[in-house]
Amino acid sequence: MSQPATPGVLAALSPRDADTSSSRRAELAEIDASTSGTVLLFFLAGMVWLLIGTAFALLASYKLHAPDFLSGQAWLTFGRIRTAHLNAVIFGFSAEVAVGVLLWLMCRLCRVPLMAQSVINAAAVFWNVGLTVGIVGILKGDTTGVEYLEMPKYATPILFVAFALIAVWTIVIFRFRREQHLYVSQWYLLAAVLWFPWLYSTAQLLLVLEPARGTVQAAVNWWFGHNVLGLWFTPIGLAAIYYFLPKVIGRPIHSYYLSVLGFWTLALFYNWNGFHHLVGGPFPAWMITISIVASVMMIIPVVSTAINHHFTMVGHFGKLKYSPTLRFIVFGAVSYTVSSLQGVLSSVRWFSEVAHFTHHTVAHAHWGMYAFFTMTMFGSMYYILPRITQREWPSERLISIHFWCTAVGIILYVAPLSWGGWLQGKAMLDATVPFIDVVKITLPWLKLRTLMGLLLAVGHVAFFANLVWILARRFGPYRQPEPMILAGVTPAAPVGK
Amino acid sequence: MGIISFILIGSSLVFPAVALWALWWAGRHGQLAHADKAALLPFDEQEPVGRMTDVVLNRPKASKASHPPQGGPVP
Repeated sequence: MSQPATPGVLAALSPRDADTSSSRRAELAEIDASTSGTVLLFFLAGMVWLLIGTAFALLASYKLHAPDFLSGQAWLTFGRIRTAHLNAVIFGFSAEVAVGVLLWLMCRLCRVPLMAQSVINAAAVFWNVGLTVGIVGILKGDTTGVEYLEMPKYATPILFVAFALIAVWTIVIFRFRREQHLYVSQWYLLAAVLWFPWLYSTAQLLLVLEPARGTVQAAVNWWFGHNVLGLWFTPIGLAAIYYFLPKVIGRPIHSYYLSVLGFWTLALFYNWNGFHHLVGGPFPAWMITISIVASVMMIIPVVSTAINHHFTMVGHFGKLKYSPTLRFIVFGAVSYTVSSLQGVLSSVRWFSEVAHFTHHTVAHAHWGMYAFFTMTMFGSMYYILPRITQREWPSERLISIHFWCTAVGIILYVAPLSWGGWLQGKAMLDATVPFIDVVKITLPWLKLRTLMGLLLAVGHVAFFANLVWILARRFGPYRQPEPMILAGVTPAAPVGK
Repeated sequence: MGIISFILIGSSLVFPAVALWALWWAGRHGQLAHADKAALLPFDEQEPVGRMTDVVLNRPKASKASHPPQGGPVP
């Protein structure tokens, strides 16, 4: 597959200096080919971090009900392993796969090839260097102690530079666009690349470089922690759903107006949500109340998005049988609705007083970050990878193992853990229950969580094996041209009914 | 804290301003209108509406071994 001619760095910065041939709308194959190396780099690195993060997760989960396991070494203690897991899956897997999906979607929707790939490739290298430094620092015990910002301060500037390159290049792609009208996915993607640097730099300034004093730290911490999910990962996940759902089934989104309403109401309300994690804390009541009101207002974007996705799929559910992308994307879309409504409920005072400081919050985080975002990213990769490698997925069996292990695994992870967390919270509020009994109440749920973590790990290994296999077909010594039936096919039977 | 306060206050003014500008720009350039056209943007003549673009699982054996014609029956 030959690489198409794409503008250089200087040309990319100014459309006026670009080759005149780039003024036409690029073909899809040309766009896919231009993104191939860069997107593969992000996907591969992300998947390696997923496997590393999964190993950390299993170890941390097992330690919750077997605390003496591997406790002789400081770097294997729960505090470090759990933190390493969080950072590996958030800033390693999720962020890198998100950037890969973002770049591919942006190029496709703007109808331009990816320009000066070396810039983004350098950003990918920077990001992984910064992340490796950060995770090694965490394992050495060199953490900030601030949740979601644990990486030591010498690692974060590298990450920031890398992300700045990615953000600037996304805007450059947008500036070069050959399709003037924006699709709703582009709104989400552009917002995400603007929101994340704002969140990250503000939180770094106020919590790491020049830490604010007292309870303000907690306020900033939750403002960042909540928004990094809602204003960075969520927009990219929704952008992917709004693209792949119609694209796979071959039907436009049910209501474009609803999708735009969903975007602007998310932008308006989400930023205020973080303080609902501080219910009962030493904060002005108005701060908490505003946050709860904004959290309840999130029903508007969530329900409008859910209605839109559901009515787009009506009559096409039979296509789930044929498309792995559709399976993961639909699972992610449903999970977005469930986890968001669970979040609304969790923000209300009476509920938060029980569920906060329990495993219920952990379960909620995994509804959002795994059941919604990670499953959506898996679905996106199932669509993108064959198109950028020009190879079909080698093993249907591995795809099925991946889907069923992760789908069943995450449902049986979060649903029981949500209930276990609720029981834990009720017991903690009962002054007659000794604390050790509260711990015992959580044990069955924590053991089930480890078991389901193993199931998720099997799914991840199956996907990684398929990924390595498809790359071996593309780049290995026995590479050969293959017939492609991925695009341009219409099921003969009306499978949607 | 002087410079940091300046940066924080500045950014907290700039970002909402950018959002408002984006909304104004969208309205002015017709991005909030023509919903029917916007909904069709993921599609084109290569991958038009009505064509499923991801058929990987549960295909009959024959279709795995050969390249069906564009728009051909699968499965």
